[in-house]
Amino acid sequence: MKDFDYEVVVVGSGAGGAMAAYTLTKAGHKVLMLEAGRDYDPKTETPMFKTNAQAPLMGAGNVDKDFGFYDATVDGGWTVPNEPYTTGDTSDFLWWRARMLGGRTNHWGRYSLRFSEHDFKGKTRDGLGADWPFEYGELAPWYDKTEALVGICGTNTGLDDMPDSSEGILQPPPKARVPELLVAAAAKKLGIPSAPMHRAVLTRPKDDRQACFYATPCGHGCSIGAAFQTTTSLLPMAKATGNLRVITDAMVRSVDVDTNGKVNALTYVDKKTDTNIQLSAKVIILAASACESARLLLNSKSEHHPHGLANSSLQVGKNLMDSTGTGLGAHIPALENRPIYNEDGHTANHLFIPWWGHKQHAKGELDFPRGYHFEISSGFRAPGSGVSGNLQGYGKELKEQAKQYYGAGVYLSLRGEMLPNKNCYMEIDEEVKDKWGIPVAKFHWQWADHELKQVEHGLKTAKAILENMGATITQPLPSAEKAILKGGQIIHEVGSTRMGASAKDSVTNQYGQAWDCKNVFVMDAGVFASNPHKNCTLTIMTLAMRNSTWLATQLSKGGL
Amino acid sequence: MAKLIKTEDQIKYQSTITRRESLKWLGILSASALLPSIIGCEVSEQATNVVSTTDNIVKGHWPELQLTPISAKGYGKDPSMIIPPKSPWPKTLTAEQLTLVAILADILVPRDGDVPSATEVNVPDVVDEWVSSPYQRQQRDRLTILSALAWLDEEAKLRFSSSFVKLSSQDQIKIINDIAYQKNNLAPEFEQINKAFSRLRKLVLAAFFCSPEGTKDLGYMGNVAIAGDYPGPTDEAMLHLNQVLNELGLAL
Repeated sequence: MKDFDYEVVVVGSGAGGAMAAYTLTKAGHKVLMLEAGRDYDPKTETPMFKTNAQAPLMGAGNVDKDFGFYDATVDGGWTVPNEPYTTGDTSDFLWWRARMLGGRTNHWGRYSLRFSEHDFKGKTRDGLGADWPFEYGELAPWYDKTEALVGICGTNTGLDDMPDSSEGILQPPPKARVPELLVAAAAKKLGIPSAPMHRAVLTRPKDDRQACFYATPCGHGCSIGAAFQTTTSLLPMAKATGNLRVITDAMVRSVDVDTNGKVNALTYVDKKTDTNIQLSAKVIILAASACESARLLLNSKSEHHPHGLANSSLQVGKNLMDSTGTGLGAHIPALENRPIYNEDGHTANHLFIPWWGHKQHAKGELDFPRGYHFEISSGFRAPGSGVSGNLQGYGKELKEQAKQYYGAGVYLSLRGEMLPNKNCYMEIDEEVKDKWGIPVAKFHWQWADHELKQVEHGLKTAKAILENMGATITQPLPSAEKAILKGGQIIHEVGSTRMGASAKDSVTNQYGQAWDCKNVFVMDAGVFASNPHKNCTLTIMTLAMRNSTWLATQLSKGGL
Repeated sequence: MAKLIKTEDQIKYQSTITRRESLKWLGILSASALLPSIIGCEVSEQATNVVSTTDNIVKGHWPELQLTPISAKGYGKDPSMIIPPKSPWPKTLTAEQLTLVAILADILVPRDGDVPSATEVNVPDVVDEWVSSPYQRQQRDRLTILSALAWLDEEAKLRFSSSFVKLSSQDQIKIINDIAYQKNNLAPEFEQINKAFSRLRKLVLAAFFCSPEGTKDLGYMGNVAIAGDYPGPTDEAMLHLNQVLNELGLAL
């Protein structure tokens, strides 16, 4: 890198890393980005318009491609070759990783809901978890800027759980589809409002990106740039400034310090040649994902940092949270044999059910803290390896049954807020190393009563909504313990390097700057002080934009 | 178009898949060597074995296949999605098994006017790819489906002294009628085959609907680029929704 005088090294090219690199390079700072995975070009690699018939096993998922053959994730999923992780004896935890430029933004759900005033000050309200070191009002203008840059479709609803964006920020949402409208009507009867989902999908063209043409699932990646991923937006825009260099296949193994314990370098494995390379670094931004960044800090032990870097609070790896997940589906007889039309839309929720219980919480009517939302799965989907319905017989009557059931199923997925608890954390497993000799992450997990009660409430609510739609649900609801998905399974891991108001109980300040190392920043979801139910990526990007803007002013002042 | 070729004394499934793997007999062994093989050799008397339990006698037979696990590799974590692997692992069904699958596939999804049958859109090859794949779920299905195939031949031989493939359509349907319906008074000897047949039924249907002709028959209208805004439900679809809302006592 002798020919490139970089000021900042960014580890990771996903939501946080790419936003940080974009913001800094636009401000005139030179950035070197390291990505552990391979280079990836959605323009040439995305399977647009491919059908399941063209894929092995009708596109069905398996250990190689957990979310199906066409899922954009490269070299990743619940397992990554050569890179194991472990769990405590009684812990179930799943860790989704991608090893590609753009990271998990290439396949994410693109749901982009703002956290609200309630979300930043949960502890003040109910005494649980931790407050964020600022209020919603501090982040609101940054949400506007991020939404405008990323391109979010949706509407201002005025609902208390969905803060409005400034006028002109949101792009128009697509029209709701029949099963979503039926769900909305069924929920309304219970006094529960529905709303257009906010999604990082363009419905109007922007920069070099086209508007959505309402075909081919976003999870496959998006070659036209309509569905947001850093590989079609922030990364090429940052590169265009001339201030960004990217090295792929670069797995960072440690952040290194000088004899005084000040960070001055990092070491990465060049996976192509299997060699260790040390780079000097004035400022380092970790955005390798919440658990990967925490792992890196914990693995960066030295005389001055015996518990790992930035860990004098002993909070690195602690406070690990995911979203709660469960769901309930039913066959809706009233939707049988309904008129068929193209129901692809932008291939995910046009409508969803936001959390409606803030007032009930305030009145003390609920036996669990915090909220959840429902996502709605339904529609005339592209045929795949599964056919729904309890089908009988053969021949003409069999096909007629299958057609009758087509598009008549509705599934409500709960995504809820969990609270940090002492049984949910990660540490380093000193016994197990990855292919390059780097000690791996070990996860511990145990849902608490808060989450189980929430899931119980959610299942009952989902049942009531489905029954309002005419579903007959004869099976008793499963217990919350059985119904709740595993830790990590919703792929919303956050909190492992949380920010706070004090160096005693947090890892970074409100700008993601490590309390212990002024030239080390964390800009992934590790800094989240809580994990609201609203999906983390929009807030990762918003924080990264705000915090790297602050970093840019510090660089200009020479304050680091 | 793939098809079932019937000559005077032979019925054979002929695939139009160009890169068909040579057919392999991957060590499908019977547990006790008592079973009739599913390639259609002589029936073994012992296939009528009656399983005794402490309380009652359960009539029936079930082939206890011992399958050699598939040792082929999967397609890995970074396959090309633009040009997916056409033949990611060797196919393992024998010609006789494929023919039986083809017969069953066409009983399940026969030609329907202009709409082709399952076999005509290569469903047996999709089933072959599925049961030959090294992944866990497919390996489970492999046991289920190969057992179902073996059971059908055993049953055909017990009832009609012939392999299933060589039975008249009427006799084939007599057997299928006994196993294709989940019902309260299902004879105990048909319980296991009923479940296995159900799995095959769903696999065949999925493969049929995935084919371009099947997708059209199902009515799926997506996967086409739309210029401008998403149009949303048609008037007809909204009319239907409003009726539904009325009937359910709901309102938007």
